[in-house]
Amino acid sequence: MVTFDLNSTEKKMTCSFTGRLDTNACLKIVDEIGDKMKEIKGPAADNTTDHSIIFDLTEVNYIASSFIRICINTAKQAEKGKFSIINSDPFIKKTFKIAGLDELLNVS
Amino acid sequence: MAESSNEKANYVIDKALLAAAEFQQFTQEETDRIVEAVYKSGFNARVKLAKMAFEETGIGIWQHKVLKNVIATQLVFDSIKDEKTVGIISNDHHSGIIEIAQPLGPIFAVTPVTNPTSTVLFKILICLKTRNPIIISSHRNSINCCTETVRICYEAAIEAGAPEDCIQIISSGSRELTQTVMGHPKVALILATGGTGLVRAAYSSGNPAIGVGPGNVPVFIDESADIPFAIENIISSKTFDNGTICASEQSIIIEQKIENVVRAELERQKCYLMSPEETEQVSKIAVVSESMSMSPMIVGQSVETIAKKAGITVPPGTRLLVAKLEGVGKSHPLSVEVLAPILSFYVSKDYQTAIKTCIDLNYLGGIGHSAGIYANDDHRILEFSQLINAGRILVNTPTSQGAVGGIFNNLLPSLTLGCGTGGKNITTENISAKQLINIQRVCRRKVNEKWHNINHDLYLNDSLGESTLVKEYNKNQ
Repeated sequence: MVTFDLNSTEKKMTCSFTGRLDTNACLKIVDEIGDKMKEIKGPAADNTTDHSIIFDLTEVNYIASSFIRICINTAKQAEKGKFSIINSDPFIKKTFKIAGLDELLNVS
Repeated sequence: MAESSNEKANYVIDKALLAAAEFQQFTQEETDRIVEAVYKSGFNARVKLAKMAFEETGIGIWQHKVLKNVIATQLVFDSIKDEKTVGIISNDHHSGIIEIAQPLGPIFAVTPVTNPTSTVLFKILICLKTRNPIIISSHRNSINCCTETVRICYEAAIEAGAPEDCIQIISSGSRELTQTVMGHPKVALILATGGTGLVRAAYSSGNPAIGVGPGNVPVFIDESADIPFAIENIISSKTFDNGTICASEQSIIIEQKIENVVRAELERQKCYLMSPEETEQVSKIAVVSESMSMSPMIVGQSVETIAKKAGITVPPGTRLLVAKLEGVGKSHPLSVEVLAPILSFYVSKDYQTAIKTCIDLNYLGGIGHSAGIYANDDHRILEFSQLINAGRILVNTPTSQGAVGGIFNNLLPSLTLGCGTGGKNITTENISAKQLINIQRVCRRKVNEKWHNINHDLYLNDSLGESTLVKEYNKNQ
């Protein structure tokens, strides 16, 4: 459902998702992402990280609102401007557009 | 610190937007599965919700509220279940036009205290059928029964795979919050059912709105009518839920020549014809004279309660209070809409005068809503229909059950009745799922041969008139 590619040198983590990210799938994903975020926690006292976070949606054909919430929460933890969503299918791109979050989440 | 209305509005609308984003990915089959599940849950809760509504609001008759819940679920579901509301909904090879249905986005639904659970059930079903998340604002006096209705529907929807937050309710019943949500730029449409002020607020919000305001339903009983049948139908309609449906009869209008027969029939069927003094006493408690609007204290109350409040005595078993009025307007308070078992009664010297009284009543406060006629004369039925400004003209039919559709006619079953431009609405139709989609039209190239064959320079020649140019346009066709 999700694989992680962590590049410590470049301080960049790419999360690649696959399949249908419905509410049930998101219940599992949210914990996996949470664990990874702890691994790359930054020096600040809060839960933020100094890494760039990239969500790669190449293999995703459906997202639930729960997944959008995961994106919002992860973006809040990433350094400002260092969260992005790449390779979204046009239908997924439209989904973020309708939610009014495509710019905030840097969806491409 | 208490949350401001803006913060509360943003909170619910942000959630609705996420639901909208997810919902627009659903297929017709996935959507229909959710609608069916919600219909079944709502239908199975019809009695519980009706009793709750009655106990909380003190309005109407719970058994009739059950029937309203049945209309809002069973009849509405039957009318929309096979409708295409997702993706390609038509493909006309002849015209070359393909129609694609798209959801609107978050819909803000304001519901009335008179029909709380049924309106909530109805609006939820038509919104889900069209993949639109719905935010409900209940009247503060019906918040508990509406919240329970939402809970039942939402649980069923989620169980069937619907997006999280696809149904929400504003729990505070706050007018300020309602107005803030109405004007929120991310609200796609307002479905407003309620009083004049509320509907006006919806239209002034800057968002698209379908608002349904008051009715003031005149019913003309023609000399050609089956009078006992007419009176029986009028009583059954006006007493339904103690007259709380805005399409219920407000006045009956007749010619003098049938007065004795109509009076006798009203009395035989247990209507109480009030004296002028009794009429005045009832007027005082039923209508607020300054605003000429019905008093909330009598809405949906029984004849006994109203008589007691007015200090008049009526025979046991009286079904309706009937007030004979001599005019329409401020001097005759009961000529306005009163959602209670009180009926105004006009006797006119002839047919022409009677119809003019109907027009006066129609324009007093119910333009575009509904009207009724009992007649067995097609000419009069059509003449009346063309003179009255009403979205629905119900013929030989109880207006309250007739206007909501699906019982006495083939109107679409609905608890939101469009009133046309007279009622500041964009449509006179019974509102249903079909008004809650944006239809995109994919237009394949189909060349208009006439347009392409004519020499367009001819149009630039000012000396050529319409007949010459049209002849040229149609040349060789």
